[in-house]
Amino acid sequence: MAYNNSLSFVYFGPTKIIFGSGSSTAELESEMSALGCSRAVVVTDPGVIKAGLSEKIIKTLGDKCVGVFSDVPQDTGIDVVNRGAAFAREKDADIVISIGGGSVIDTAKCMCILLTEGGDLANFEGIQLLTRPQTPHIVIPTTAGTGSEVTWIAVVFDKRKGQKILIVESYNTPRVAILDPQLTLTLPPLLTASTGMDAMTHAIEAMTSIDREPISAGMALHAIRLVSTYLPQCTQNGNNINARGQMQLAATMAGWAFCNSMVGLVHAMAHSIGAVSHIPHGVSCGILLPYCMDYNIDDGEPEAIKIYATVAQALGVSTRNDEPKRAAKAAVKEIFDLSKRIGHPLKLSESGVKEADILKAADLSMADGAIVNNIRCVLGKDEVLGIYRRAL
Amino acid sequence: MATYNAFTQEWLNAWKQKIAECQEYKEIAKDWEGSVALICNADPSKNVPKPGYLFTDYWHGDVRDFLVCDEAKTQTAKFIMTADYARWKQVAKKELDATKALMQGKLKLKGDLTYIVRNVKAVNKVIDLLTEVNTVWPDDV
Repeated sequence: MAYNNSLSFVYFGPTKIIFGSGSSTAELESEMSALGCSRAVVVTDPGVIKAGLSEKIIKTLGDKCVGVFSDVPQDTGIDVVNRGAAFAREKDADIVISIGGGSVIDTAKCMCILLTEGGDLANFEGIQLLTRPQTPHIVIPTTAGTGSEVTWIAVVFDKRKGQKILIVESYNTPRVAILDPQLTLTLPPLLTASTGMDAMTHAIEAMTSIDREPISAGMALHAIRLVSTYLPQCTQNGNNINARGQMQLAATMAGWAFCNSMVGLVHAMAHSIGAVSHIPHGVSCGILLPYCMDYNIDDGEPEAIKIYATVAQALGVSTRNDEPKRAAKAAVKEIFDLSKRIGHPLKLSESGVKEADILKAADLSMADGAIVNNIRCVLGKDEVLGIYRRAL
Repeated sequence: MATYNAFTQEWLNAWKQKIAECQEYKEIAKDWEGSVALICNADPSKNVPKPGYLFTDYWHGDVRDFLVCDEAKTQTAKFIMTADYARWKQVAKKELDATKALMQGKLKLKGDLTYIVRNVKAVNKVIDLLTEVNTVWPDDV
């Protein structure tokens, strides 16, 4: 939207953020008490447990942890949520604490709805159907990418429909997010890189979305600065706790940004190629980002060029006085260069994607909701196919 | 030109006719399948003493039932959109973008959001055509 007399938007970002090394154990109990809760079900996944990330937190809770639900797969589903909610209900939980990545967080978000409202999760597919606050949810993320700790969107797979469904509920936004850099120290380099590029993509797409607005843009710009500075430090030295912490902050800020301003073509294409080829979301975002940026710039739309010139400044490859189109192109080049520095795949074929896959994905992309928010209007699937081919 | 009171069957019939006669709509909505129920919350201060329940049905560019109905009928729809009267009036007069209103919580939606967004052109066209129906709103009286 234009930043002029007709600017009108809603910004919603109610989650309390607690940041600090060791905060996941030092602050959790007092945050639970502040919410008036004393019976927590912890939601996590086998990977987090195996990595030993949840052990200290659960031990800290002591009797206040009434159960652990760890049966969460990489892509959560309605059946997983229903089982988790039944488990939590049986334990008489009054709060849900999620420790993990996007799938764990989304599972926990949906469990909170069922704990308050009852029923089957399928009945809650939609937007803003809830009329009251839900069971409190504290998120302790173990990746620095999705930003789910501050968003009001949950994505779960519905086996009956054979597709993912969206549940968008502002009453279900996590109350608290505890960002403890220690929990991301053991994230392997490629996962660090890809989740970091997911955050970068959130930030850049929020800047250029047709629903962009100044508060989200402010969050996004700082997220871009943080990712460009600290992501390479994290991939070079995973034990750099300062860099890990800054990446968590970047992911959270980018989460606020995209949740309020939406995402665009990169996510439409990433969702689609992910559905066809099963490549991880962060990987597909990171690969497609510079190609989509180039596509948006090549249209010559002055507003897009101006925004990418601002992105270039945040990336540290341009100054205010630079010619805007040159600066915008510098932003594209820097994203490619950043990907190389962090060891992120540069081409879809590196992840096993084939020509047949992109033909299917191009069709799906045109039907993905995110595409309507793109700053450049995508006229047809041939345009999308062209981008996929350049990225292949 | 005829004028219709909002949320009446005559008003719905006029809206349906606009959509049925629109070739552009037929093309944009050629993939749309399913019904949309519209629920308007009561607002006595604006001369809306009771909730309003509307059922509209669309199929591959054609329009089917457009009915003033009861709550039970609305629950059978593929999509159910609920909002306060003031919001519906804003949407109907294009003062508020419907998709944005959904994301901002000003309209509530039961159903698949991604389907709505994929077919946002059809949604917007239907609303555009509503603006062509001369409407008397309850709080204008």
